[in-house]
Order: sequence, then structure tokens, then C-alpha cells
Amino acid sequence: MKTLVLLASLSLLVAAPFFGQIDLPLDELLQPHSMAHQVFMQIRLPRVLLAFLVGGILSLGGLVFQVVFRNPMSTPYTLGVASGATLFTAIAIIAGLGAYSPLFAFVGAMMTVLILFAVASRFGGYDPTALLLVGIALGFFYAAALMVMYALSTLQESYEILRFTMGSLDIVGFGQIGILAAAAALLLLMMRYYKEAFKALLVSYEFAFLQGIHVKKLSYTLLFAVSVAVGAAVSLTGPIGFVGLIIPHMLATLYRQSAEKLLVPSFFYGGVFLVLCDLIARSLADATLPIGVVTSFVGAPFFIYLLLRKRK
Amino acid sequence: MPLHITDYSDEILHNISFELEAGSHLCILGANGAGKTTLAKVLCGLIDSDAVTIDGKSLRHLHGTARAKAVNYIPSKLEIFDAHMRVEELLALSHFDTALHIGDALERLQIAHLHDHPCQTLSSGESQLVLSASALLHGARYTLFDEPTANLDPMRMRTLFHLLADDAVLQSKIVITHNLELAYKLGFDILYLEEGRIRFHGSAERFFAQSQLDTLYHSSVKNLGDHVVVSL
Repeated sequence: MKTLVLLASLSLLVAAPFFGQIDLPLDELLQPHSMAHQVFMQIRLPRVLLAFLVGGILSLGGLVFQVVFRNPMSTPYTLGVASGATLFTAIAIIAGLGAYSPLFAFVGAMMTVLILFAVASRFGGYDPTALLLVGIALGFFYAAALMVMYALSTLQESYEILRFTMGSLDIVGFGQIGILAAAAALLLLMMRYYKEAFKALLVSYEFAFLQGIHVKKLSYTLLFAVSVAVGAAVSLTGPIGFVGLIIPHMLATLYRQSAEKLLVPSFFYGGVFLVLCDLIARSLADATLPIGVVTSFVGAPFFIYLLLRKRK
Repeated sequence: MPLHITDYSDEILHNISFELEAGSHLCILGANGAGKTTLAKVLCGLIDSDAVTIDGKSLRHLHGTARAKAVNYIPSKLEIFDAHMRVEELLALSHFDTALHIGDALERLQIAHLHDHPCQTLSSGESQLVLSASALLHGARYTLFDEPTANLDPMRMRTLFHLLADDAVLQSKIVITHNLELAYKLGFDILYLEEGRIRFHGSAERFFAQSQLDTLYHSSVKNLGDHVVVSL
């Protein structure tokens, strides 16, 4: 089963750049100056790469958040990190600093994490349910603040904000992909470095402490690393929900192994999932559907399914 | 070098001071809610304080492997977040005493057959034995066991008794228990807590004298010579 899924995923990754609204004939594609070649190299390929990297970061980030917060529902998305990025992007657009919006988005994401840290330290970091609720409350607050931004904005600005909130893989160059690749690589290396400590965290905070681990420092380091990577991803693509929720859970069912063995698979399959969602988004409608919409359509029912299963 | 706690107080415990020499053992007894687990958590650092020193060093200033090798706490229940971690994987995480093999530790507790079971599927008794195996592999100088026999059947209780009674196993053992027979047979020094205070600290011989038992347990515990029993 695992091999089958892996093979299907690899073929999907290879095939993905060849699909889209216009067909790219293979013979034309090989000509360096043809239209097909240009479309492939400058639109299709970067898009697939972007989808893969963003999906990977969101999925791995979700897994780490779930372990650190002790809650299968917590992801950088459900805890308001993405909403923080959205709000700050809106602020940037309205302030006429649209060109710097990724930077603002990043600041918004990091600020949310710092608020969560501050609240977590009040609970000693041991009350995941309360934290999840704080994240949801923050999300509501950001949503209200976003409405204020809409009210203050011109029609053009409103449209720009709206496009961002829908999540999009549209605007991308290889420079941005480079940044994301670096963020992803850093996160993966970091998880590799902290793998043993992460594994102890999978047992319990107390157990990890007794193995000599500085639990608080470890948790904050992991959350911070994830948030930097997620902040970078969200700042470029807008909020793309549910990837970090669905993929780690599906992998836990597929692999039936402890979570530290799922770190790399989460990244890989998160990437594959977003490439697939993007393919659907590009193929279904005449106008490309925003990617965030597709993942939410898949993810929201899955979220409810998880809640129901947890109740049993 | 001793484990030392000096004048520790919080909401539950009051003016706790005692020391335990390396190589000697202790049983902590006391009614439900007397503060036994709290005391254990203070002694292992899970509850942060500057009252505890090990080998002359404040526990607060011990970090990483040095702290792990100094003191360990075995809770009465195994709480594990991950649904799929197997027994062997769990044990590998606390494998500081590399002279001891995981298989041998499992053998010693007669749970070799559980080695690749997911921890979450274990019964409470089985997981308690797994925890005890982890204590052996961890091999801290001071190991606190919180009610290590609470969920064990009579046969397993014997297995664990022999383990705790074996002087070659772990340098210093501190055993919290409600099982007076276990404490009696172990013969470790007794620390008796009452409402967060040390009511008795001394040899097992003195503690299990009938007059002492009558004072502490209001005549509900009888020392029959070979056994200590609760008269119901």
C-alpha cells in the first residue's frame, strides 16, 4: 500500500507540470524558444515547485504543532498564524506598501506565534485545549480586524486583499521559490537535529524532562522554526488551510508508526497533496479556482470527520 | 554522596528536610493526598525548586544527561501521546545504561513478548512493568517509583518485589507505596508523610513496631511477624 501510494505520488509530481489550460505538445516543448517551452519553464514548473514546497511546509508544520500542543486539531492554520499573516498583508496593501506585503505577512505570522507563546507560558505550556481556543479567538479577532481593513480600503485594495485571503499559487518567480526551498530545507534539517528529543516529546512532557530535555526550550524552538517556514510560505501564497491537518493524520493511518518517522513523509505527501489540489484547481473551472478554496473544500469535511472519530 | 532536600514547602508539603545516602533506599508511605507524589516530583525536578541537591549540586543547576543520570521518576501510569510508539522504541529513549540490553530488561520483568506492542494497547499492569523496565535501562543514581505495584497481579507483584529488593539493581531506590506488606518485606528506611509533613523517618524495624503502627494507623494495621496485614 505504502509503495503504491509512493509510486502514484511520484508519477503525479512528474506529470503535474504537463497539465493545464493549454496543451503543451511534447515536440514543441523541447524547443528552447517555443511558447510551450516558456510556459513550461516559467509558469508550470515554478507553480508545481511552489505548490510542493508550500504543501510540504504546511504539512510538516502541522505535524510538529500537533505534537507540541498535544492536540490533533492544532496546526499553524487553526491557531491563527495564517490569519495573522492575512491581516498584516491587508494592512500593507492599505498602507500602500503592497510591494512589501510578504514581509508584513511574515511579521503577522510571527506576532501570532509570540502571542500564543505568551499565553502558553501562563498555562505552563500544558493546556493544549485552552491554547487551541486562544488560537480560535485570535482568529476571530483577526477576522474582525480584517473587516475593518476592508471597510477602510478602496475597491482595488479590497480586491487585492480578497485574492490573498483565497490563497493563490499564481505570482511566483524562481527567487521566491529559492526562499521557500531554503526555509523548507532549514525546517527539515532542524527536525533531523531534534529528532531524538522530538521522539521523547511524543511520550509526554514529563518523560522528556526526565530524559534531560529542556522541554520548554525545545517546544519553543520547534514552534518558532515551523512558524518561520509557515510565515514564509503564507506570505507568498496566502492562507492555505487544512493541509497540515489532513496529511499528518492520513499518514498516521497509513504508516501506523510513531510520529517521528512521519516527519519526512509528511513533508513529501503534503507537497504532493498541494500539487494535486492545484491540479484540480487548474483543471476544474475555466478560471483557475483559488487553491485555498480547494483545500478547504476537502479539509473542512475531514476536520468534522476527525472530531466525530475522536468522540468515540 | 547524598540526595538532599532542605526545608521545602509549598501548598501541599511543609518543611520537608531529609537526606538519602547514595546506595541506600527509602519507602515513602502516607495516606492518599498526604503529598507523596508531590514530594517525588520535587525530588526529581518536575516541580522546580532550589531545595534539592544531589551530590552537593543543586538539582536546578543540573542539565541534560547529567540530570537524567542523577535522578529519574517512574510515574504510576504510563501516559503516552503518540498512538503508534512501540515498547522497544519507548525503552530506547531512556536507554542511558548501555551496559544493559533492552531485551534483558524486558526479560527481567518477564515481558519480553511485549517488545513490539504499541504502548497504547498495553494494560495498566503491563505498562507499569514496561515503566519499571525503563527505570532499569535509565539507570539513574536515584530512581523514584510511584506506586510501582498498584496495578499488578500477585505474580507480577512478586516479580517486581524481587527486582526492588535486589541490591544490585539501581543504586538508590525510592519507592512510594500503599502496600505495607511490600514496604515491610523490602525493609528500606521509611518516610511517613501526614498532611504534607514528615511524621516518621527511620528504620523499617522501628516503623513496623506494633506500637508505632497503632499510633499512625489507628490500630487498623497488624504486624503478625511474618506479615503486615490490614484488619478490615
